[in-house]
Amino acid sequence: MSEAQAALLLRKQLGDLSKSPVEGFSAGLIDDCDVFKWEVLIIGPADTFFEGGFFKAHLYFPKEYPQKPPKMKFISDIWHPNVEKNGEVCISILHEPGEDKYGYEDASERWLPIHTVESIIMSVISMLADPNDESPANVDAAKDWREDYNGEFKKKVRRCVRKSQESV
Amino acid sequence: MAEANSKPGESLDKALPSGVEYDEAIMAQQDRIQQEIAETSQLIGDHEDLLLLSKEYSEEDNVYQGKIKDLRSKYKCFRRTRGDGNCFYRAFGFSYLERLLDDRKDLERFKEVAAKSKDMLVSLGFPAFTVEDFHDTFMEVVEKVEQQIPVEDLLATFRDQGLSDYLVVYLRLLTSGYLQQNEDFFVNFIESYASVKEFCGHEVEPMARESDHIHIIALTSSLDVGVRVEYMDRAGSEEVNHHDFPEGTEPKVFLLYRPGHYDILYK
Repeated sequence: MSEAQAALLLRKQLGDLSKSPVEGFSAGLIDDCDVFKWEVLIIGPADTFFEGGFFKAHLYFPKEYPQKPPKMKFISDIWHPNVEKNGEVCISILHEPGEDKYGYEDASERWLPIHTVESIIMSVISMLADPNDESPANVDAAKDWREDYNGEFKKKVRRCVRKSQESV
Repeated sequence: MAEANSKPGESLDKALPSGVEYDEAIMAQQDRIQQEIAETSQLIGDHEDLLLLSKEYSEEDNVYQGKIKDLRSKYKCFRRTRGDGNCFYRAFGFSYLERLLDDRKDLERFKEVAAKSKDMLVSLGFPAFTVEDFHDTFMEVVEKVEQQIPVEDLLATFRDQGLSDYLVVYLRLLTSGYLQQNEDFFVNFIESYASVKEFCGHEVEPMARESDHIHIIALTSSLDVGVRVEYMDRAGSEEVNHHDFPEGTEPKVFLLYRPGHYDILYK
């Protein structure tokens, strides 16, 4: 039942997103037979170094969704303080309350069953524009962002943007 | 993980797991505990004799044994609920709907209140898409109650983890909604959070977060359903104390509180 419920909710969201797309990203399934694995394409937010990029990411939903959050991983290369070098996205809303090993501030928003694919991606887009410097997943990117924003950080991000354009 | 075969004389730091590993070990242990609880207790149990409670405490424990005796003079039996942090919501939800199976008048009233609650939540800024999903599931169960399904079917609904958790989520949303609507009042009782909204995001809406008085007051007020909680703790005499929520209302649901946990009582 729980799995069926999760599948139903995901199907509904998929239908909803294809009927009325949301600006800034597009979403579909990696494999049409598996509603628990999504592929999203995120458009690099305007007025950031990510502008012009099309970043592919995968979302993996657990059977316990929406009680438990999905995991998200960028497939496209991306240089960002809150994205691990292997692409894993580390933002507080993808973690349950009580999971404190990530060192988020207590007040940061955690996973809630009311979150949707849309609200997750919106948080990720705002993370791209506005990194959280306090708990970096990619320490080197955080260092670039802090110490050489218009130099090294920009250079590496723009390289990812170009690469993402080639693979679209 | 600490190495099991670390040699004596090695520094203590080496033998102990590092910070992150330590957190992971705690999380894994919490998962194991949750799994063990899930295997040994149902989300909502069968009727049990209150006499069984006395076996859980030492015979010489006069305070508890006295309280159980007192409880037995007031109630017939009880149902256990799983101690997963959601027990108050689940106990309340099941017990009240079970009662509504025999109370059509109150059911009519409740159905109206529940039907309106979705718009209230959406107006507070909860995302319509997901609220609707939880609301629809909740109303489906209320409609089943209206069709007067057998208690066993209602029990099966609340024992189905997926469905049962959906109902808990909706009750949590209602609790959060009431707290936020009455922010001016409740803000006085909130410690360590900057706002009622922030409190709700951390202590009400997430699953498995335990309930305190403030949650109970909010949920019972939001649905206008009286709940009597019988407190079985170390405090005071050999009689159980009770408290009615919201204060002064006629109780329709009876819960047994033992530190950190709620079970359902039957008159």
